[in-house]
Amino acid sequence: MPVFSYLAYPISGAKEQLRNELEALAHCEVLPSDNAEVLVLVTDTPDEAEEKKLKKQLGQLTSLQSLGMTFGHVDDEWPAKRSGHEH
Amino acid sequence: MSISRRAFIRNLARSSAVAAASTLFPGITFAGWQKMDQPAGSIQWQKAPCRFCGTGCGLLIGTAGERAVAVKGDPNCSVNKGLCCVKGYHSIQILYGKDRIQKALIRKNGKLVEAPLQEALDLVASKMQSTIKSHGKDAVSIYGSGQWSITDGYVASKLFKGCIGTNNVEANARLCMASAVTGFLTSFGLDEPMGCYEDIDNADVFVTWGNNMAEMHPVLFSRMLANRKSKDHVRIIDFATRTTRTSQASDRSILFKPQTDLAVANAICYEIIQNKWVNWDFVNKHVSFHKGKTHIGYGTQDHFKFKDKAETVDFKAYKAFLEDYTPEKVEKISGVAAKDIKYLASLYGDPDKKVTSFWCMGMNQHTRGTWINNLVYNIHLLTGKISSPGNSPFSLTGQPSACGTVREVGTLTHKLPHGVVMKEKARKLAAKIWNVPEKNIDPKPSYHTVEMFRALDRGDIRFMWIQVTNPMVTIPNLNRYRAGAEKEGRFIVVSEIYPTPTSDVADVVLPAALWVEREGFFGNSERRTQHNDQIVPMPGDTMSNTWQIIEVARRMGFEKQFPYGEKSYIEEVWNEYIKFHDNPKHRMAPYKELKARSGVQWPFVDGKETKWRYNAKYDPAAKGANGDDFDFYGKPDRRAWIWLRPYEPAAESPDKDYPFWLNTGRVLEHWHTGSMTRRIPLLHKAMPEAYVEINPRDASDMGITNGAKVKISSRRGSMVMKASINGRGIPPRGMVFVPFFDESYLINEVTLDAFCPISKQPDYKKCAVKVERA
Amino acid sequence: MKASEQMNDKKIGKVFLLFAGLCVLALPLVVMAAFNYDTGENTTALVENPPMANFDHQGNAIFERYDHIVKAYLEGISTERTLEEYYARRQYPGSPPVIPHKIEDSDGAEMACLTCHADGGWTAELKRHTPVTPHPEQTACRQCHVPESDQPLFVPYSWTSVQPPRLGRSYLPGGPPPIPHDLQMRGNCIACHVGPGAVTAIRVQHPMRGNCRQCHVPDLFPGVFERHSDY
Repeated sequence: MPVFSYLAYPISGAKEQLRNELEALAHCEVLPSDNAEVLVLVTDTPDEAEEKKLKKQLGQLTSLQSLGMTFGHVDDEWPAKRSGHEH
Repeated sequence: MSISRRAFIRNLARSSAVAAASTLFPGITFAGWQKMDQPAGSIQWQKAPCRFCGTGCGLLIGTAGERAVAVKGDPNCSVNKGLCCVKGYHSIQILYGKDRIQKALIRKNGKLVEAPLQEALDLVASKMQSTIKSHGKDAVSIYGSGQWSITDGYVASKLFKGCIGTNNVEANARLCMASAVTGFLTSFGLDEPMGCYEDIDNADVFVTWGNNMAEMHPVLFSRMLANRKSKDHVRIIDFATRTTRTSQASDRSILFKPQTDLAVANAICYEIIQNKWVNWDFVNKHVSFHKGKTHIGYGTQDHFKFKDKAETVDFKAYKAFLEDYTPEKVEKISGVAAKDIKYLASLYGDPDKKVTSFWCMGMNQHTRGTWINNLVYNIHLLTGKISSPGNSPFSLTGQPSACGTVREVGTLTHKLPHGVVMKEKARKLAAKIWNVPEKNIDPKPSYHTVEMFRALDRGDIRFMWIQVTNPMVTIPNLNRYRAGAEKEGRFIVVSEIYPTPTSDVADVVLPAALWVEREGFFGNSERRTQHNDQIVPMPGDTMSNTWQIIEVARRMGFEKQFPYGEKSYIEEVWNEYIKFHDNPKHRMAPYKELKARSGVQWPFVDGKETKWRYNAKYDPAAKGANGDDFDFYGKPDRRAWIWLRPYEPAAESPDKDYPFWLNTGRVLEHWHTGSMTRRIPLLHKAMPEAYVEINPRDASDMGITNGAKVKISSRRGSMVMKASINGRGIPPRGMVFVPFFDESYLINEVTLDAFCPISKQPDYKKCAVKVERA
Repeated sequence: MKASEQMNDKKIGKVFLLFAGLCVLALPLVVMAAFNYDTGENTTALVENPPMANFDHQGNAIFERYDHIVKAYLEGISTERTLEEYYARRQYPGSPPVIPHKIEDSDGAEMACLTCHADGGWTAELKRHTPVTPHPEQTACRQCHVPESDQPLFVPYSWTSVQPPRLGRSYLPGGPPPIPHDLQMRGNCIACHVGPGAVTAIRVQHPMRGNCRQCHVPDLFPGVFERHSDY
């Protein structure tokens, strides 16, 4: 289960939009800053496939200017199969 | 990977990102950060009663570090068994409003400016002393509330009644509970309910008398719904003047015209007698019949005086009196169909059904509030449905310590912690415990609340200290009394947590600590005393109300009477206070017991709580009388009193010029004047402003649409606000309803300051207004 | 009572309607007639009771449903429906969902939908628990709900809407989350948030509490309280 954190920079004036878009994605946790145009994004996906899918979704966000990774962790004992849904 | 390891890694991911952001943006903050930084395991939980209504739910307050961060229901508290309402769940958010008053404020050159706390306390003490010197001891007063912690009210009474020697001690509970008190005293001789919340689990029928419990006492309401769900035969009957969320949940909703509950209650008794449903065994052994004065007035004039006089009568006279209240006659007065009256009577009369009646402000805020309390007791007494599980006439309270502080400590002009000022024995006991000369305690009551504000307006009172309440929103006919408070030569001290319309008119504002920022006690509707420790630190210069009074008392030279230690004063004051109640009818639990348990019901005798009073099976003070377990020991004849109380009209009824009734009240989301709940983001968002509910057909007749501006005017004032049609509740045709929580719409500028002549409690539910498109 | 159905283009089978053999989950919605005490003819003298259903977002629907469904259903759980599936049937959060299964009488206006969708229960052929409508008092179902179709579009279109409300919006850890959606037509909390037909992610953990809105209040108006004082 890969866990990453990023500083997410919105395009000008789109912090709220970016927050909404990120929060709508699965496996994402968002902490907007109170006083700066930046958000903390923590991603926690169940497996590599999900992680890839998420990365692709992140790349498509129109309100996102750039992502700077601040932390990464990839556990080697990924569960072979997960049941249920991630919510 | 274990959950905790995964949570740990996520937390590491978060903190790395926050740390990185801090190097890039010096001074950056993340509001959500601290919340998420605390894994659930690091929250500490401590018990406290809820801050809001009189239900007295047990809460567990979660703290992380020095901040309160979460709330859950206390599963060990028998009141709510782990459930809260939306206000309780978010109650701790009242601690953190940005405009919290943390420093003392003193009015200088017309403006309130921050000042050192010691200077403010000095000023309060010296102003009180100089006022006493220039205008006499009865020119100073204190006005507290049912949100006072028990120790707050106790030291206030001791300072004013015992040390200064004035009976100018009142509390806002006069506006909410006084009729319940006089109802209990006239019918049973002792205040507070005989039953307890376990009645809810045992009753077969519930009748809510003008009581929208679904919004006002939601946790008790849920308990009632759970009882109905678990048993097929349980019925909830809503008997009210307006259709509400409670009506929606009820099996039957019966509407009556305002004020006519008096007639309907008598008609129910008429039917019970006609159908031979009287429990004669009970009535013969435990009931006596009495009548009082009639045409007793409404108190709208200054210096209004009234004293009731009881005359003992017999059942025959009672039966003759009820001849005026046949269901058919009462249908014409009340608008309740005769068959509905008979239906209600059949529920009360059925010997196989246990019946609990609930009421709160609908019956208490009533110009005949004492009478309607008596009349509902009459129904339960005729049928013997009282003082046993599920059979309960149950008067609910609206504030967390209306019972604990105002009624039990007696912070009303005529009361002492035990007994009334008029009785020498009571004065002797108080003087002894308070360590003051007996002559200090004035045997004459001074002003009840409305008259106290009239005295302030007239200039008979020059100094008023207001704690934990917001009269500049809640006093009826507010225009007069606000102008009075603002007159030259009046000095107003306000102990508050947030700026309010009341602190707006203050000369000194003292920053007060909130309930879990200090140790304290509340007392709920079912005689339950509830203790909480200090759970979070006091912000800024804030101080408990108890300690503020002690500080001022010492400055006035009463060090001897207020010797308490700064760390231990709550325990010391409690131990002193309970000396007043050291008898089996009212014994309070010791401090140690209260600290350990989620509330303890009094009388607490031999280590046991009393759940049902006046019944020897449950109450150690009851001896049993005339061959069974009941014993109404509060009255000299050891009987409960049935009263012959007639229907008399309201103080002001709709007429040609003012054709609508105005009814006021609360909503689920906001508590009282909203000075706390409106600062809770979720509650404000759910209910951002007040409105006027109009019957859809009346609205249609006047061309008023939902959300349109409407002008409501009475003979005293007017208000423009938005119409609500088919909203939270629906008034019947000819009535409008306005909630009073919103200080931007001071509906009490429109209401009338008429009150029950016996209890002196104003009627906020009935006055005449006109309604126009604005 | 059964009807031939086709589940999309996967398989053909029979839908057993609600009451067939499902003792535990059968939920006869007892009509309140037993206690419907008629107030009689002489209404001119009487205070008029407004219709219960017309105010407070038809709040009585919650109480009625709570009081009349059995405990086993209230506490029933199932893991079949997901939020993704739920929103896939809607054009925007709150729009009337499409009908995802074949229906027998596709021309009738008043459908037999309520036979299943009023009270829920297991349908053997679809192998799932039926979702419950929050507004069973509306009986012309096809006025708003149309069958799903794999017809190609008439012309290409561009449509986007707001994101569905995010879960877990409690203001305090462990606090009751507010209601993130409008209540019009969707005020009967128990229909969608309780029972085996509910979407797993939004099913409440404490279905035995009946007065939902004593803890969950709408979170719809923006802004915080601001004082306006002339003093």
